[in-house]
Amino acid sequence: MAGAAHPEAMTPRKKGPTRTAPPMMPATWWSAPRIRVYLLFGATGFVYLLMGFLVLRLAWALGRGPVAWEAALSSLANPLYILFHLIVLVSLIGVGVRAFGKMMPKMQPRGGPLPVLPPGAVRGVIYGAWAVITIFMVLVLSGGIL
Amino acid sequence: MSDGRKTMRVEITRFDPDRDEVPKTQEYQVPVEDGWKVLDAINYVKDHVDPSLSHRWSCRMAVCGSCGMMVNGEPKLTCKTALSDYGDSIRIEPLANFPIVRDLVVELEGFMDKFKAVKPWIIRAKERAEDMETLNEKGTFSQSPAQLAAFKQFSMCINCLLCYAACPVVANEPEFIGPAAIALGHRYNVDSRDEGQRERNQVFRGEGTVFSCSFANECSEVCPKNVDPAAAVNQAKLGAVIDWAKGLVLPKGGA
Repeated sequence: MAGAAHPEAMTPRKKGPTRTAPPMMPATWWSAPRIRVYLLFGATGFVYLLMGFLVLRLAWALGRGPVAWEAALSSLANPLYILFHLIVLVSLIGVGVRAFGKMMPKMQPRGGPLPVLPPGAVRGVIYGAWAVITIFMVLVLSGGIL
Repeated sequence: MSDGRKTMRVEITRFDPDRDEVPKTQEYQVPVEDGWKVLDAINYVKDHVDPSLSHRWSCRMAVCGSCGMMVNGEPKLTCKTALSDYGDSIRIEPLANFPIVRDLVVELEGFMDKFKAVKPWIIRAKERAEDMETLNEKGTFSQSPAQLAAFKQFSMCINCLLCYAACPVVANEPEFIGPAAIALGHRYNVDSRDEGQRERNQVFRGEGTVFSCSFANECSEVCPKNVDPAAAVNQAKLGAVIDWAKGLVLPKGGA
């Protein structure tokens, strides 16, 4: 065993008469490929937190006037910001693929009136919708439409 | 070995609550035969080397779910896991994420608490006498193959608890109901004979909520019966949300 799990993990509400050793985590919990993906999935939360601060900074600059807004925008040309935006993009795609590609096909209700679609069909619909929304947003933001 | 059998080094976790502060590892040399499972090696140690070794087992055919242990760090049913899948040594530990009672035996009462919380039985709104009109001529509920198929997969769970040993959320959030109990609760929620969805969905939304699951999918990866608890947990999330939304917008919560 590698490390301790939460000391209360799977403990009964009413303690038994026998002293027990505390629960442990599997020795390979951090190195198993599936767990690494899970940890990366969780770590993207930190990336979104930082992105939230950046959005707040931009909104703050917008409120202070055109000069502050232009300064804030030009600061985004810094290579560190570009790298950060690349990390945000990779995080968004990673989480989107995981949530839409793996989680959503499993979430289909099996007891209702709707047919259970094959996972590939669900993924196709979701990725298709995702692509259409992305293209629409790109066109709007680039001035192509609206 | 003089009889030509291969000898395997077997590391087993030992813990005596009367003497040990923490679990320790003990090594044994076990002469193994072709076709042996991991459980055979443990039983050899118990029968021929160290009778004080404690472990659980029963059916030897992957049905009872008693012999779940960590084999080289992975949760496995030891009666189903071939020794030939490993090299010259193997490490056997009690199921992860559970308090250890003794050696390879873990405390199961914590699971039983969670298991009972999801009410894993058919709940009917009426008493049986008033319910007779919905029964068929044999006095039982009729169910179509499609209705059976909605829950059959989830009813295959043997409560071996490998999914709990694999789940990183169980390891870190003691309140989390966990994969097997949620799968069993969901199994009854999608059973056409059951009318207890509201009660269970309240449990799913309450302390130990199904939403703690972040879809590591480890439970489904290790499940020896292909129950796919991760699917049950995520369907339970959807069911719990729909039930909550109905409660907001429909008169009497849609009851």
